Parts: sequence; C-alpha cells; structure tokens
Amino acid sequence: MVPITHYLILALLMFSIGVVGVIVRRNAIVVFMCIELMLNSVNLTFVAFSKQWGNLDGQIAVFFVMVVAAAEAAIGLAIILSVFRAGQSIETSDAAELKF
Amino acid sequence: MAVTFYLMAVLLLLSAVAVITFKNPIYSALALVFNLFVVAGLFATLDAHFIAAVQVVVYAGAIMVLVMFVLMLLSAKLEKASPFSPLYFGAALICGLAFAVTLGLEFDSGFNSAPPASDLQGTVAAVGKVLYSRYVFPFEAASLLLMAAIAGAVVLARRRYRTKEL
Amino acid sequence: MNQAAISATIWPIAFFPLLGALLAYVLGRKERDWAGIIATAASALSFLWVVKLVWALPEAHYFEDQLFQWISLADLKVDFTFRVDQLSAVMCMVVTGVGTLIHLYSTAYMHEDEGRHRFFAYLNLFMFSMLLLVLGGNLMVLFIGWEGVGLCSYLLIGFWFKNLAYAAAGRKAFVVNRIGDAGFLLGIFLLLHLVGTTDFVALQPAIMSGNVALGTDFYTLVALCLFVGACGKSAQIPLFVWLPDAMAGPTPVSALIHAATMVTAGVYMLARMGFLFVLAPAALAVVLVVAVATAFVAATTALTQYDIKKVLAYSTVSQLGFMFMAAAAGAFWVAIFHVVTHAFFKACLFLGAGSVIHGCHHEQDMRHMGGLYKKMPITCITYGVSVLAIAGIFFFSGYQSKHAILGALEHWHNPHLKEWIEYILILVKFTAFLTAFYMTRSFVMTFLGEYRGHAHPHESPWPMTVPLIVLAVLGAFGGLALSGSLGFSLEHYLAALNFGAAAEHHHESIAAALINSWTGLLGVGLAFVMYTQLKELPGMFLRLVPPLSKLLSGKYYFDELYGAIIVRPLEGLAAFLWKVVDQGMIDGMVNGTAAFVDATGELRRITQTGQLRYYALMLFGATVFFIIFYYVL
Repeated sequence: MVPITHYLILALLMFSIGVVGVIVRRNAIVVFMCIELMLNSVNLTFVAFSKQWGNLDGQIAVFFVMVVAAAEAAIGLAIILSVFRAGQSIETSDAAELKF
Repeated sequence: MAVTFYLMAVLLLLSAVAVITFKNPIYSALALVFNLFVVAGLFATLDAHFIAAVQVVVYAGAIMVLVMFVLMLLSAKLEKASPFSPLYFGAALICGLAFAVTLGLEFDSGFNSAPPASDLQGTVAAVGKVLYSRYVFPFEAASLLLMAAIAGAVVLARRRYRTKEL
Repeated sequence: MNQAAISATIWPIAFFPLLGALLAYVLGRKERDWAGIIATAASALSFLWVVKLVWALPEAHYFEDQLFQWISLADLKVDFTFRVDQLSAVMCMVVTGVGTLIHLYSTAYMHEDEGRHRFFAYLNLFMFSMLLLVLGGNLMVLFIGWEGVGLCSYLLIGFWFKNLAYAAAGRKAFVVNRIGDAGFLLGIFLLLHLVGTTDFVALQPAIMSGNVALGTDFYTLVALCLFVGACGKSAQIPLFVWLPDAMAGPTPVSALIHAATMVTAGVYMLARMGFLFVLAPAALAVVLVVAVATAFVAATTALTQYDIKKVLAYSTVSQLGFMFMAAAAGAFWVAIFHVVTHAFFKACLFLGAGSVIHGCHHEQDMRHMGGLYKKMPITCITYGVSVLAIAGIFFFSGYQSKHAILGALEHWHNPHLKEWIEYILILVKFTAFLTAFYMTRSFVMTFLGEYRGHAHPHESPWPMTVPLIVLAVLGAFGGLALSGSLGFSLEHYLAALNFGAAAEHHHESIAAALINSWTGLLGVGLAFVMYTQLKELPGMFLRLVPPLSKLLSGKYYFDELYGAIIVRPLEGLAAFLWKVVDQGMIDGMVNGTAAFVDATGELRRITQTGQLRYYALMLFGATVFFIIFYYVL
C-alpha cells in the first residue's frame, strides 16, 4: 500500500496548481475550473484520511462538497452568463466596474 | 498497486497543469474532465467505490457538461486572447511553490508514513447507512441548498426584457 | 401668619385663564373674534371666583387648597398648594379685576390684528401665571408663576416679532429677567438648604424663631438674593433697562404686564417674605438705596422723553422704586397699597395712551399730538384724573399711598442709614415733585394746545372707554376707599404684614392733606405753566446745562454702559468660543478625523485594483505568509 503521505503530497501539489491557475488565468470559466481542481484535491485528502482512520465521515464530507460544487456550478455559471450579457466579456479583468 | 498510484499521480499532475496552461478554454475543460476521471481512480485505490462513482457521474458528467455548455454558448464571442502576464505568472508560481513546500514540510513531521491499516470499504451500502442515519439532517439541508441553487440559476440566467437600451 | 387654615376650592381661579388660553388659541385660529370673547370671559370668571372667595374670607384666616404633592425627594417635600390670605386676596383682586378690564379693552384695541388669537392666548396665559404667582403657597410654586409671567412678558413684548427691534426688546427683557431669576433661585436654594422648606406657613415661624445656624448674616444673604430676583422682575437698578424697551409690545400689554401686575411681583414677593426682610436690616438698607436711586433716575429720565409710552415706562420704574422704599421701611402693607393704587392709575394712563395711539393711527411721539381734548374727551378726562392721582394730589388715590410711603420713611427705625434718612427724604420728595412735573408735561403735550399731527384723531369705541372710566374712578377714589374712610382699611386688612411695627393712625384734616400734597401741586402747576405759557423755558433750561440734558436724553447711558462692560465682552467671548474653540478646535478635530481617514483611504485605494486575480494572489500570499510565520519560523 501507498502511505497516506503520498496522497497528501499529491493533493497539495494539485491544490497549488489550482492556486496558480486562479491567479494567472483571466477567463472566468477557467478560473472556475481551477477552483474545481482545488476542491478535488481537498476531496482526495478527505478520502485518504478516511481510509487511514477507518472512518466513513470523510467520504460523507466529500459527498457534501460535491453537492456544494454542483450548486456552485449552477449559480457561478449563471453569474458568468449575466456578467457576459452586461459587458460582452467573461474576462475577470474587465469586471472592475465597482472599483472607485 | 503502488505502480498504479504513481502512474495516476503523474497523469493527475500533468492534466492539472494542462488545465491552467491551455490557451483555449475548451481544451482546459477537456483536461479537467480527464483530471476528474483520474481523481475517481484515486478514490477507487482508496476503496471509496461509491464516491468514485459519484465523482464520475456528478463531476465529470453533470458539472463539466454544464461548463462545456456555457463555454460553447459563449466561445463564439471569445475573441480576445488572454495576454500572458509574466508578473502574475511569476508571483503565482512563487506563491504556489511556497504553499506546497511549507505545507509539505509539515507533513514530514506530523504524519505516520506507514500505509493505512484499516480495511474500510466505501461501498454504497456502508456510505448509505451513515448518510441516512447520522447525516440525515445535513442531507436534507443539502437538498434545500440544491433547490435554492436551481431557483437562483433560473433567476440569474433568465433573459430580461429590457424596456430601454443601456 | 398666625392664622388658621380653612380648606377651600381655589384652583378654578387659575384654571379659568389656563383653559381660556387654550380655547382662545384653538378656537381663535378658526374665528379670530372668538379669541377676545373667550379670553375676556375666562378672566371675568376668574375675577368672580376671587370675589366669591374674598367675600367669604374671615379675618385672621386663610384659605388653603392642597392640590397634589409636586416633589418628593428624600427630605425635600414640595406640595402644590394654593393659598388665599389677605395679601393674596388683594393681589388677586387687582390681577383679575384690572386684568379683566384690560382684556375688554384689548378686544377693541386689537380688533384688526391678524394674530389676535395668539395675543389673547398669551394674555390669558399671563393671567394664569400671575395667579399661580400670587396664589402659590410656597416659593417653588411662586417661582413657576414667576417664570411663567416672564415667558408671557417675552412673548408679548415680541408679539409683533416681524419687527426685529421688537423681537430684540423681548429678548432683552427675557435675558435681564434671567439674571434676576438666578439670584432668586439662589435665595430659594439657600432657604431649602438651611431651613428645609419654602412653604410660607412653615417658613415664617422657622425664620422668626431665629433657630437658623447662621443668624443675621444668613437672613441678609437670603434677603439680598431674593431682592436680586425682585430687581429683575420689578425693574430696579441695575436691572431696570428692559422695562422701557418692553414698550415694544401692544399697549394693553404694557398696561397689564409692565405697569399694573407683573412688575409688582417683586414687591409682592418682598411683602410675602417680609418676615425675613425685617430680620435683615442691612438688606433693607440696600433695598432703600436701590429704590431711591431707581425712582430718581427714572423720574429724571422721563423728563426728556417724547414717546408717550416711554414716559409712562420710566414713570412705572420710578413708582416701583416708591413701592420698594415702603418695603424697605418695613411697611409692607404700604408697598402693597401703592401697588394697588398704582395698578389703577397707571393702567388707566397706559390704556389712555393706547387710546390716543389708536386714535392717532399709531403715532407715539407727543410732539405730533396736542389738542386732543376736543377729539377724545373721555380719554382726556380719564388721563387727567390719573395724572392727578400719580402726582399725589389729595384726594386722588396716589396721595394716600405716597403719603403713607413718606410716613413710613419718616419712621425709619433701621440702624443703617439712620443719619442719612433726612437727605433721602428730601430726594424722595423731589422725585415726587418730578413725577407730578413730567406727568403733567405728557398731559399738556398730548391733550392741550393745537394738534400738531397729520392723522384724524377720533374717540375710541366703548370697550376701550369703559375700562378707562372704571379705572379712572378707581384711581380717583380707590385710595380714599382703601385707607379707612369708608370703613375698610387696607392697613387693618393686611395686619399680618406688620411685623412688630406699631400701626400708626394718623388722622388729618383736608387742609393738612392739601398742604401735604404740595410737592404734587407744585409739580403739576409748574409743568402746566411751563408747557402752556412759557414754552421756551424748558428748552432754555436744557441749553443752560448741556451735559445734564445730554445725560437725561441719553437715559443715563445705562444701555451703553452695560453694552461696554457686559454685552461686548460676552459677545467677544462667544465669538472666541465660536470661531476658535468650536470652528477651530472642535470642528478641526472632527474634520481632521475625516481628513485622516480620507488620506489613509487614499493610500489603501492603491491596493484595490478591482482585479480578481490580484485579490486571489493577496489571499494566497497572505495564507503563505501566515503558514510561514506560525509553523516555519
């Protein structure tokens, strides 16, 4: 068996890639996908810990994260659509109207 | 077993990097779908069969299809290519690396590196039993959350009849 | 007050005018003419109730009406009590009686004014306050009335508030009265602190038994404090400057408030607290000096005034001085006697002046009058009778009260000022002569000779002439009636006010009385001759001594003096507080805080790029920083 540490380090690397993506990319949908990457890396740690301690609670947590992710996808994409309709762009750098 | 893990780990990281580097968002989305499949495989290596299945169905299936829909809907108008910003890229890279390194250092000291001893099986039956007993209330609350999300998405995405042009 | 209490219903006396004020204002808004009728009726009802009570008041008793306990604080208990004893009875009769006549007069005088509902509401409110003042069973209730009449006085002086000078006159009256009130309040607090009560019935034995720790010094201190209050309200030096300016109000107001009733509140208070004053001879000596100085200064100022109301105003100040002289001599009943007779003839004079002003279309300058005896015979005769009364000529009412004042001064038994009393008496007699002189001057200038104005004077309607006639009759015979000639002696009636002073009975023949009124006769005669026959003489006199004439027509420059030593420095201080402290420091602090926030916000604004990825970078950067800070370092 692979020790849990390896799973954790793998999740950490994936999370960091997600962070870099969120910072670097300007396309709102890609940013959204990077957030999915981060969520998934966290899910990976949940499941890994669940296996480590023999406790199903971690997997339940993953289930709820997915629920939230689904809700987030619905709302987030709807917001992106609205923003696009208002400004004909989904670039996050263009959505700076409220800055004083 | 270990070989499978390391193979999947490499694929996972590669696809994740692909998500953030492809210029075309469609490619990014496809890379992410692949990435999510690999995560499902990793869940399977941890004996979380139910979660792995849900990962494929909900994430790779439902959510990513939704994302693709939106991308397709808007892609015709996405003509402005994102200019590459070395400043942000450098800062992000340093930030991500520092993040990885500092947290990784913690792992060294804090965790037993021995392989997991438990023979926990995340079967549908096992997860379902916990979900509908101890977590029945959060489960119901989650249904409400999804309901609200549906209503919110409808309201937000609805085309408004504009009486005057902006 | 070694008298027995009888409980009785007194509150309606004060209640009628209060209700009248309310109704006159509310109903008068719809129909202006109702206000005068309501107010007059309320006042008349109040008068009838007073008559009913006074009629039933037995000798050596007083009526009491305990309404409710007003203040209950530890040891301090203040009841809201009304009392009618002989002193209150006399004051109530004057206030409601003269008040009703003046209300009646006002219905005609104000009949064209847009704000007459306001006017009558104020007038009734004044009646209510004044009755509270004279009915109050302790100093606290008296003080409510005291402040109430001050307020009404302010409201009525500034009644035509669109004229800024009138509004300023109202404000001046209010502020000057506040100065006096401060002294009055101090006196009340001293009494509360050291005696523990302000109830007159409880206070008198407590004071007269002499058990108060500080003794005579305490009495003197309290008496002086109270006298400061009286100075403000009754326009004595140094606080008399507001009364001449108070003539800005409608003339009936001047008659009621600034001649007949409110300004005598100080005299009433002195009489009420007489038991305290007789124990403080030093304070009484101060009262005498102030009173004589006021009477003399005001009388001389009146000599050179041309505004008919100003003449009467200074005359009022002067007569108030006479009242305080009597009080200073310990003859409080004489002071009240003069209050009553003065209320009659001075109200009549003011109403007569009002009638003239009304008839001459708001002309107040006597140089533009003259010869009005043909056009306004009733006004002329009543005014003339009142002039004779104020001049102190036998048998008119002023003679009896003034003679009594001189008599009281002649029996000055105060150790202070004993050796000066001779000279003071001469000055007082000279002032009495001046009184007769300037009043006759005003009569001659107004009613005799040729008409010098351009209006078309006419006699006033009956609601104005009836009060004039009633008051003139009272002014003529009131003094005689009250001094015992008709079986009623005010001195006897107010026997409770004789604190140890032996009552003296002086019967005199008519011839002696005529001789005793020589000061008045001389003044009237001299003025008559000077202003009808030798018209150049007054001007010659004034030209002979220019500094004196300047001093007199400048009204002794009291206003200028106060302006220089009090008002100007206060204005300077206020300007300093406003410009430097408020605008500079306080606003500076407030604006400085805002400016600081603004400046730092300007700095922070640099960090707000509006770029989502920038915020994400900051978020993760901060996370890294804290991880390093807490786990690695």
